[in-house]
Amino acid sequence: MILDRLARAVDDRLRLSPLTRKALAKVFPDHWSFMLGEIALYSFVALILTGVYLTLFFDASSADRVYHGAYAPLDGTTTSAAYASTVRLSWDVRAGLLIRQTHHWSALIFVAAILVHLVRIFFTGAFRKPRELNWLVGVTMLLLALANGFTGYSMPDDLLSGLGLRIIVSVVESVPLVGSWLVALGLGGEFPSDEMIPRLFVTHVLLVPAVLVALVSVHLAMVVRQKHSQFPGPGRTEHNVVGARFYPNYTLRSVALFLWVLAVLFALGGLVQINPVWLYGPFAPAQSTSPAQPDWYVAWGDGALRLFPPWEIHIAGHLVPAPFFPGVVLGGVTFLALYAWPFLERWCGGDRRAHQLLDRPRDHPVRMGVGVMALTFFAVLVVTAGDDILARLLRVPVYDLLNLLRVLVLVLPVLAGALAFLLARALRRGDAARLGELTRADLRAARQPADRGDAEAAADEPELPAPDRPGERVELWPDGDVWRWRYRDEPAGVAILSNRAVLTEQEAAESARLAYPGVDHVLVPGPPPPPLPGRVRTALRRWGNRALGVSLLVAALRQRRDRRRGGHGDGPDRR
Amino acid sequence: MGVRTYRSTRRWWHPGRTVVLGAALALAAGPAALAAPVAPTPSGSAAPAPNGTASTGARGEELFRQNCASCHGQQGQGSQRGPSLVGVGPASADFQLSTGRMPIAGEIPQPRRGEPVFSAEEIAALVDHVASFGGGPQIPRVQPGSLTAGRALYAANCAPCHGAAGTGAPLTNGWIAPPLYDATPVQVAEAIRVGPGLMPVFPSQVLTDEQVNDLTTYVRRLRAEHLDRGGNPLGRLGPLAEGLVAWIVALGLLVAAARWLGQRAGE
Repeated sequence: MILDRLARAVDDRLRLSPLTRKALAKVFPDHWSFMLGEIALYSFVALILTGVYLTLFFDASSADRVYHGAYAPLDGTTTSAAYASTVRLSWDVRAGLLIRQTHHWSALIFVAAILVHLVRIFFTGAFRKPRELNWLVGVTMLLLALANGFTGYSMPDDLLSGLGLRIIVSVVESVPLVGSWLVALGLGGEFPSDEMIPRLFVTHVLLVPAVLVALVSVHLAMVVRQKHSQFPGPGRTEHNVVGARFYPNYTLRSVALFLWVLAVLFALGGLVQINPVWLYGPFAPAQSTSPAQPDWYVAWGDGALRLFPPWEIHIAGHLVPAPFFPGVVLGGVTFLALYAWPFLERWCGGDRRAHQLLDRPRDHPVRMGVGVMALTFFAVLVVTAGDDILARLLRVPVYDLLNLLRVLVLVLPVLAGALAFLLARALRRGDAARLGELTRADLRAARQPADRGDAEAAADEPELPAPDRPGERVELWPDGDVWRWRYRDEPAGVAILSNRAVLTEQEAAESARLAYPGVDHVLVPGPPPPPLPGRVRTALRRWGNRALGVSLLVAALRQRRDRRRGGHGDGPDRR
Repeated sequence: MGVRTYRSTRRWWHPGRTVVLGAALALAAGPAALAAPVAPTPSGSAAPAPNGTASTGARGEELFRQNCASCHGQQGQGSQRGPSLVGVGPASADFQLSTGRMPIAGEIPQPRRGEPVFSAEEIAALVDHVASFGGGPQIPRVQPGSLTAGRALYAANCAPCHGAAGTGAPLTNGWIAPPLYDATPVQVAEAIRVGPGLMPVFPSQVLTDEQVNDLTTYVRRLRAEHLDRGGNPLGRLGPLAEGLVAWIVALGLLVAAARWLGQRAGE
């Protein structure tokens, strides 16, 4: 009641209701893979929440500071203020370690979820026109996420992250002509500079997060503006989106996912140790530790540095340091390829149409092959970053393993890519619905060139107007003051209700024509009765209610019995 | 030096002899000897006979003849199968025997830590016998030292190979710097002074006895579980193990959650 009046008061002044009504009626597709990006979004929220807490205690300075606290091996040791405050956060600040670990786990999940989301977008072709812009924004966010992960990881000034920072600085120094200038510019001097940690801090908590928040907003705004893409299916065309309304259905689902993300992140933060900087000790340029790896999302760079042979390459008489190629060139090419992919595909494939319906991964074997190849390549690089751990587990010499990985990194991606290409092609042409049903005959049949006309027609099929498809119709009916409509395909057993009520019949007909062009309209007297709930569900609900009632009764009886006993028994308990 | 000790054990065994002696061992000593393999002896009897009357020196010599002399020679002068023990000293012998690295079980490049084959008295007798060959550092006397100083010394001298968290790490050519969690303070001090395997020797000119005390105190502390304040340490293996957990456990759970939520919606 108060809320209602408040809402009215706000609406009188800001006139928000048309906008809100439109926003609440936005439709989200039901398929689970559309929620992967949301995992990243909610990890980002968790990052900001926990990060704010950490800034209250973290001292971003390389000035000397004597640590006094609960961690005995460092008690009374002079370290940098950044390191001392991180150890204090971990051992002496209430809930400090939980929040610090949750922050770190969130960072790992954030990047992982971005990657999974990117893989989904890539293999389903969701980056095609008109969504290339959003792909660019997304790739930029991935880049920024990597950067922010790395700066955050380096800030505590512990031994392990100091080694990582040293490696990155060396990679930047290897850039011909400008490398050492860039380093001097970035660090304000030689490598372990006093400016280093404050600058990392400002980048980590202000610059990159601000840009990220802006880009997340742009990313989501574009999704709203362009509407969601969706998988093809009955009733789903290039002109509509089939799914759940934002409120209440999707809101509930999204909030549930948010709580899941928080639950998993905090559970990890409380139960699984991550980055125990107190064990690693403060960074000193002359010290090192082993095994030493970076966080997984930059491990591919580390792996590439380990794999690249120690060649001395001269270009125009000047030595180009070896880290330049696996470090700068590989990273640059990777992100360039990511940025360019939508345009490359359009240019090579010649498909310039706009697409609202997604591909199934199998629909585009070349894309499938290239994607699997790239993923395998980077997976091998990440594994290489752990070559020392792996060598110890397998009890083989580490250099033998490295040589093996040098071969694998070239061979395995090609094999995996080719296999993926062949399987996708066979799946597309054959009758097998899934990978397990694929037969050798399918593979063989895929080798013959298919008649292209058939494939083209199949791809265009949902776009065809459908007046001649029997059983398909749009039903309109008045519902009190407003009009509603729904799409119905009787043979397929599909009925899709429009997400918004409109004021006139004409408006309803127009919106129906927009979503289902060419489908016949029918006026019906009223809304059809809701379908009966399934038998299992009804039984479950009935039994659930009964169980609840019985347990309540039992609880009440037990409480009463306890109270009676307590009344007769010893007094002190009752207080 | 210890380096030579290990390297020369490589071509130490003849395969045929292994089979013959293994069979002899099994017959003579039964399953107990197989469970805790020991180096073969000339007489073929591996189980050290109980000997209450003889003096420690005689006991040590007997044990040496039975278990060590086949490779290291009757007088510890070494042979084609094992290095000389003249000049290695009691600290080295005690380290190798009490960590179960000697007697060596088979032809492996680097003996790994295991249960010691001999009892404490037998080890003491053997160490005395090896000491009688002359030379080498004595078994260090370890006392509690300073934890903070130990941490700093550890970071500067030990962490590059054994890892800042004491997990150990691989070295070149299939060798590893072992994890330090099972080592007793005396064994740590012995390793510092002796330098077994590829480990460098740290004589008293480099690390004073006090510094060794500090180091052993810190290494002892490293194994303490309450240092893993944050929960399951994942073997203290660092970021890649953490990344694996993030992908498999966390992202697995979250994707499953998304799938579940999506499926519920489709109903």
